Amino acid sequence: MIRFWNRRLKSSILTENPELDEKIQTIRKNIKSEVKKKFAGSLAIRMVDSGSCNACEAECNALSNPYYDLERLGIYFVASPRHADIMLLSGLMTFNMAPHVLDAYRQIPNPKWVVILGDCPMMQAPFEKTFAIETTAKSEIPIAHHIPGCPPSPKEIIEGLLEFLQKI
Amino acid sequence: MRRLIARYAKECSTHLEVITVWDDEMEKEELPHDKPHIKTISHSHPAAIWFERKMHDDFGIVVEGAFDNRPLVAHERFLAKLHPMRKSFTKTSVEYADYRPYKYETVRGDGVFEVAVGPIHAGIIEPGHFHFSQAGEDILHQEVRHFYKYRAIEKMVEGKTLAQAKPIIERISGNETIAYQIALRDIMLQAANTELPESNRKYHAMLLELERTIHHLTDLGFIPNDAGFGAALSVASRFSEDARRQMHSLTGHRFGFGAIDFSSHQIDPGAMNGYIDTLEESLDFFEKWIVDIPSLWDRFDTTGILDSKKAIQYDTVGVVARASGVEIDRREERFYKEHGFEMAIQHGCDVAARFKIRLKEAKNSAKMMRNFLTKECETVKIEEIEDGEYFAYSESSIGELFMNIEIRDGVIERFFARDPSFINWQALHLMMPDNIIADFPLINKSCDLSYAGNDL
Repeated sequence: MIRFWNRRLKSSILTENPELDEKIQTIRKNIKSEVKKKFAGSLAIRMVDSGSCNACEAECNALSNPYYDLERLGIYFVASPRHADIMLLSGLMTFNMAPHVLDAYRQIPNPKWVVILGDCPMMQAPFEKTFAIETTAKSEIPIAHHIPGCPPSPKEIIEGLLEFLQKI
Repeated sequence: MRRLIARYAKECSTHLEVITVWDDEMEKEELPHDKPHIKTISHSHPAAIWFERKMHDDFGIVVEGAFDNRPLVAHERFLAKLHPMRKSFTKTSVEYADYRPYKYETVRGDGVFEVAVGPIHAGIIEPGHFHFSQAGEDILHQEVRHFYKYRAIEKMVEGKTLAQAKPIIERISGNETIAYQIALRDIMLQAANTELPESNRKYHAMLLELERTIHHLTDLGFIPNDAGFGAALSVASRFSEDARRQMHSLTGHRFGFGAIDFSSHQIDPGAMNGYIDTLEESLDFFEKWIVDIPSLWDRFDTTGILDSKKAIQYDTVGVVARASGVEIDRREERFYKEHGFEMAIQHGCDVAARFKIRLKEAKNSAKMMRNFLTKECETVKIEEIEDGEYFAYSESSIGELFMNIEIRDGVIERFFARDPSFINWQALHLMMPDNIIADFPLINKSCDLSYAGNDL
């Protein structure tokens, strides 16, 4: 543990990465104030995967690494739809998953929004419609915002969440 | 004992064919179109259970002597007897049918209760269902139920050329995309009767090792995190982000979608060498730090044991097999050995062993990436694609990946891929008895299997 703290004290704050420029800084400020205004300080996200390739999930997990550290903006991923303000939906809407996605959606208390992540829910990824894929997520539940990309990078997800917050 | 790699069916014009792939040979069985019957091999190879259940769902093949005849891919709301992999099935949408309850494997008795977990889990992970029979905290039995993400990719790519199918195949499993692309590349090369220049092979192998590094580094953080040691996740997730950014600077994509192709590439050896230096230093720091945390190893040691006898019996592959002392790795061949490949083997059979394997492999990958480093690779011309049946293997970060593509009239007649997870998921329940349910996330994460690759 001493070794860890030695290294930790030597390394500066990672989150101020040169790659994340001024733009991100303003976005962060905006996000903080939007989150504060509309969600009393914290925005709770329930992530649901309805048939993705796992890349979108990996990028969402990357949001909590020291470079992005989403939680300090007041945005949290929560464990249950009953704790959530919004549902972040990724992946193709598969035949086997669709009823469960709707179930999770029903469990989110009002007011609630659905933000879709990546190209899959809009059927814009290279996948084609088969019998095992329901139509786009749009025809199943009301969509408030779409964050495109295959997969969207963590930076794009943060930007997308801000756009969503400004929209509502 | 022979190792079962895959068992699957395909439809020919006059008959159905069941192909069983072993590590030393391939068996083909012809069945009539109407009333096809085969004998089960699941009594000697339990890993055949899912293959045979899938075969029944896909083609309507009746498996005689099987002790598990429940549907696998076709869930409660699927129409019974749909058999969508038959050529006569051409629908692109089906109606929800009446609910058919699924009978879970459970243990019954006084005070025994069931815990249903999933398909939507508490974290940011893929959907799948785990059904536990519990006596208090102790797990008596667990059933793994998947295929919530079933996208019917096998059917989706039929009738496409290899080039058309490539963007779909590389998105089967985001974490293993390079491995899938390399298997597809090998099939393309076989079909075009072309050799790949050494420099291209080295470049592709380097990307595969980088993908493995990303995956292992992620796990090296998440496994301790599931044992309540969050600091490791903060440290390792930084390393994995560095690795992912390196992938982006090499291929222009953070996961490497579309990275394995036949065009020329220029690589900056200085930048890559610099990255590998940092990686080696990071891994060295991480290892020295993490081995020194006794409370963590208290959780790791003797948790989730899969003894080597069972690992062989269940035909496991990849990290899971190697942590149980079974030497299986598709990279054990001349090309990889010349570039510094060393088989990582542990005999602990537990979470600790799987954790150590990942650490060892990440270090070995760093060494191999250095040896694979080339300045540039050449353009390869892929001309005529010949019809035929082609097989390819690659070693993804999870384990051995098997792919079979049959090409007829220039387009895919049958596509089959067996993700390493498909085999290893079936061995997961063996690790559960004698553990408490709170250790399940830890055990599951130590195997880190893919849901998307498994479900197809």
